[in-house]
Amino acid sequence: MSGRCIRAALTVALASLCLPAASAFAQIPDIGGIINAAKGAKKLGDSFRKISDEEEVKIGGDLAGIVLGAAPLANDPAGQHYVSRLGQWLAMHSDRPTLPWKFGIIDTDDFNAFSTPGGYVLISRGLLDDMHNEAELAGVLSHEIAHVVRKHHLQALQTSLRDSAVGDFKDYIGGPGGLAGQFASALVNAGKDMFVRGLDRNDEYEADRMAVVIAARAGYSPYGLGGVLQTLSAVPESKGFALMYKTHPLPVDRLERLDIAMGTRLDGYEGLVDDLPSFVALRAPPPPPPPALAAPVKKGKRRQ
Amino acid sequence: MRALFALCPAAMLLVPLSPAVAAEKGLIIRAGEMVSEPFIDAAKAGPVTANQPVTIVEKRGGWTNVESGGRKGWVRTLNIRLEAGARPAGSTGQVASLRTGSSGRTVTTGVKGLDENDIRNATPDMAQVAQLSSLVVSPAEAQANAAQSGLHEQQVAYLDKGKTKEKGK
Repeated sequence: MSGRCIRAALTVALASLCLPAASAFAQIPDIGGIINAAKGAKKLGDSFRKISDEEEVKIGGDLAGIVLGAAPLANDPAGQHYVSRLGQWLAMHSDRPTLPWKFGIIDTDDFNAFSTPGGYVLISRGLLDDMHNEAELAGVLSHEIAHVVRKHHLQALQTSLRDSAVGDFKDYIGGPGGLAGQFASALVNAGKDMFVRGLDRNDEYEADRMAVVIAARAGYSPYGLGGVLQTLSAVPESKGFALMYKTHPLPVDRLERLDIAMGTRLDGYEGLVDDLPSFVALRAPPPPPPPALAAPVKKGKRRQ
Repeated sequence: MRALFALCPAAMLLVPLSPAVAAEKGLIIRAGEMVSEPFIDAAKAGPVTANQPVTIVEKRGGWTNVESGGRKGWVRTLNIRLEAGARPAGSTGQVASLRTGSSGRTVTTGVKGLDENDIRNATPDMAQVAQLSSLVVSPAEAQANAAQSGLHEQQVAYLDKGKTKEKGK
């Protein structure tokens, strides 16, 4: 799409004018709105480009609170620890290894995963439950990590916030925390927009391309993400997938782009794994051995 | 022992097979050539066309062995989408309330969704954010676990968008 080239070439203010046009879910604002929006977006764009990791983490935390307000963390200590540990390991192979990354499973049957600036990553229990192996989990977590690394959310938020008063951004950042203040409430609304409209479609494809590399760097088969996309390609647009479908390109389009980008370029690496016994055990705890099949016979043999 | 043998076949049926194995039906995404072995320079094994139905025989990383119209060959794994409704019996998801015990959970009765309205109506929950922060695993623990699990780190360069002969993108 031409939007990417334009965005790279032009100034912040111009780019923020072009972004809505490049988005698949763009609404066309009136001319007066565009002019006013450009003024605001330039100011906010400058702010967002300069924010520190700490500021990004603060924004990300407030946005993660929205998702967690809609679907809380799953009550699954072993699963949470497993996902947190794997996520940390994958993030260490990204370009922002020292962010305070946080990973969690949210308690919903829907198929989805979310991330917010500063290193917050949430995966739905429904999606996790349907995975075939750990490489698939690594692929999905790496996709979200890539969004954070490339600051895709900040670009999307910038677009949503363009009509909002942004004068107290510094007060928000310097403030005591919590969600008080004009900027904070604008941010929450912008965050909700982002979660229901999704990120730029090209950012999704870019995150897919980065994800397979991050997974391979960390020792996993780069085809895990493709496995998840195949799973998603086989399901109808039923309720449990509605939000994911609305916010992402179609799985078959993502498969096609990923196939073209990967070719056989990641096929030559030795020792990459599809699955680990610990992941199998995590998801399917072995039932206790049937009492009828156990002890007495063996005991007798040992004595002889 | 006779009783044991009699029980075994039934018990085996209860063990879920690896969900990625056989009997999955797929559709070719882009037209191309099958190859006779899972290598890019292997002998050609016949053409496939877009949307051609195939039966998935075996997956091996980037390659998948398929059968279609009496012919067998290997195609790129990412060049296959799965046919709607053709997912293996052990897998879950399409209808969450029919979920099996394959993930070690009991059957879900009330389906908890997360749709657009849930997001729109959400009140940010900062206590949950704090709880999320408490789950963090240190890099040292992640590293130690990876070593113990036998994961092999690799140096891998990022990918560009790539090119295809069929379609200029």
